[in-house]
Amino acid sequence: MNSLYLPKDSLIHSLDPRTKMIFVAFVVASSFIMNDPALQLLLLVSLFPLVVIAKLVKPYLISIQFLLLFAVLIMTVHGIYNPIGVTPVFEIFGGLTFKYESMVYASVMSFRILVIGTGAVLFVMTTHPSDMASALVKWKVPHSFAFILLSTFQIIPIIAREAKIVMEAQQARCLDVKGNIIQRVKNLVPMFAPLFIITFMKVHQLSYVLECRAFSRKGNKTSLRETNIGSLDYSFLLGMLAVLVFEIYLKLFMMGSFQWTTDALLTYSLIGTWVVCGFMLVKFLVKRFQGKFGGVN
Amino acid sequence: MQPYMSVKNVSHVYPNGVTAIKDINLDIYEGEVVAILGSNGSGKTTLVKHFNGLLTPTKGEITVGGLNTKKEKISKLSSLVGYVFQNPNHQTFLPSVRKELEYGCTNLKMSESEIEERVNKAIELFELEDRLDDNPFDLNSSQRKEVAMASIMAVSPRVIVLDEPTTGQDHKGCKRVLDLVRMFKEHGHIVVLITHDMHLIGELNCRTVVMNQSKKIADDQADVVFSHKGVMEEAGLQPPQITSFANQLSNLDANKTYLTIDSILSWIKENKPNEEKKEEAVQIGSGS
Repeated sequence: MNSLYLPKDSLIHSLDPRTKMIFVAFVVASSFIMNDPALQLLLLVSLFPLVVIAKLVKPYLISIQFLLLFAVLIMTVHGIYNPIGVTPVFEIFGGLTFKYESMVYASVMSFRILVIGTGAVLFVMTTHPSDMASALVKWKVPHSFAFILLSTFQIIPIIAREAKIVMEAQQARCLDVKGNIIQRVKNLVPMFAPLFIITFMKVHQLSYVLECRAFSRKGNKTSLRETNIGSLDYSFLLGMLAVLVFEIYLKLFMMGSFQWTTDALLTYSLIGTWVVCGFMLVKFLVKRFQGKFGGVN
Repeated sequence: MQPYMSVKNVSHVYPNGVTAIKDINLDIYEGEVVAILGSNGSGKTTLVKHFNGLLTPTKGEITVGGLNTKKEKISKLSSLVGYVFQNPNHQTFLPSVRKELEYGCTNLKMSESEIEERVNKAIELFELEDRLDDNPFDLNSSQRKEVAMASIMAVSPRVIVLDEPTTGQDHKGCKRVLDLVRMFKEHGHIVVLITHDMHLIGELNCRTVVMNQSKKIADDQADVVFSHKGVMEEAGLQPPQITSFANQLSNLDANKTYLTIDSILSWIKENKPNEEKKEEAVQIGSGS
């Protein structure tokens, strides 16, 4: 099946899609309830074991790389320039100072992105799109809405494949895709014009195909893949509920923080993201270099 | 003679680990028409994508017009090897046929007078005078395919690769493709055809390369390849109906493979001293 779903045999995979959807909502909610960098970090770290249980460490790390880039940008730019900051923490060259308040703000923001990203990746990679659709239907979501969601998931890889063909087709018309930035922006037209047209054609065709197979028939539909909520789901839901209650308690009675947020924590998390990003950059450059080197041979 | 395009020991393994072509050796000379045959997934398209550098070999080497495809830009190679994709919708996107024809040349940053000259040549070649201001998407599929071909030919590459040119075409469209291939050859282009259309190859009787399971299993004139039962069966190919028919006629020349109706008719005419003998000649399968 064309989707981001990675079939593995794990506890997370065997959870009901509904449980996992609640889980995503829970992750989003708690990332907003906890307005504190230390707790956000704790949440992020505690999500990681779930990734390990789902046996998705490598694909997770690959997909989270892009979010990490956002995190680094937010942390650095906000940390220096956000006007809410008053207390200086440390200075880098050129009189640019990281300030406490803005660093708190920036790290909450970027950890939130990472936390939500992790939750979303866990859901998408462990849930078969059809399962998700049938679970939604069980929640009394109209079948056509569920299908819209399902087909969105499935059309992404199809578009990606078409995009590759279009790019090759335009290269065959002497388009230089490896030019400078301006050249590349100009290239978007020959890339996207055929891609849009083809995608519309495909979707149009899909609607005919669906009609030929009685898609708009009234009444209930059965599903090939059945999903059931079992004891595992209940324990998972209970666990989430417990954490959520604790979070709300924390928010109401302890001002939403353990007071763990110190200058050191902020500085280390900032430097930590720099280091990880640096590694990514080095890895990218090495790959690039190897590619060039290999090309000459 | 020096081959124009030479494929030496080329293998290609896709990033997902699938070996698409394995140890292919192929020399293509000036003025040749080469058909590449084989079942789906046998590596035909992967092979031709190497010709203009869309793919580079993971092992081996390809030279086109003296250039190593690994070291050259695709845009440079594309001016030597024109690749017409199977689906013209992947290639056409401009609002008029004329702009479509100019596009490749503008990518190569040619001067305006040169673009004009080349486009006019392509217009003449493809007889597109009446359709210059039409939107390619308003044309029917065989006309659109022709526009895609013309837009590639406007760059006037030495080699032209046609990926399944007759798929989804009506009889008229197929006939047009046949005429175009002959015309390209006349104008001194090398034509590489990927096709499942045995009738087309029979009519052309060109050099035929047969691929099966990532390997080249035959490379010879079409009539020789078609007469080779082992190769045809291995690659899952069926010769043109007329060839199968001729093979079952006992009195025909056993050493010759008949690819077209005309060739059989001319044989019958040659061997017809009187009417009775002709009837005898066309007795099916009596001697086999």
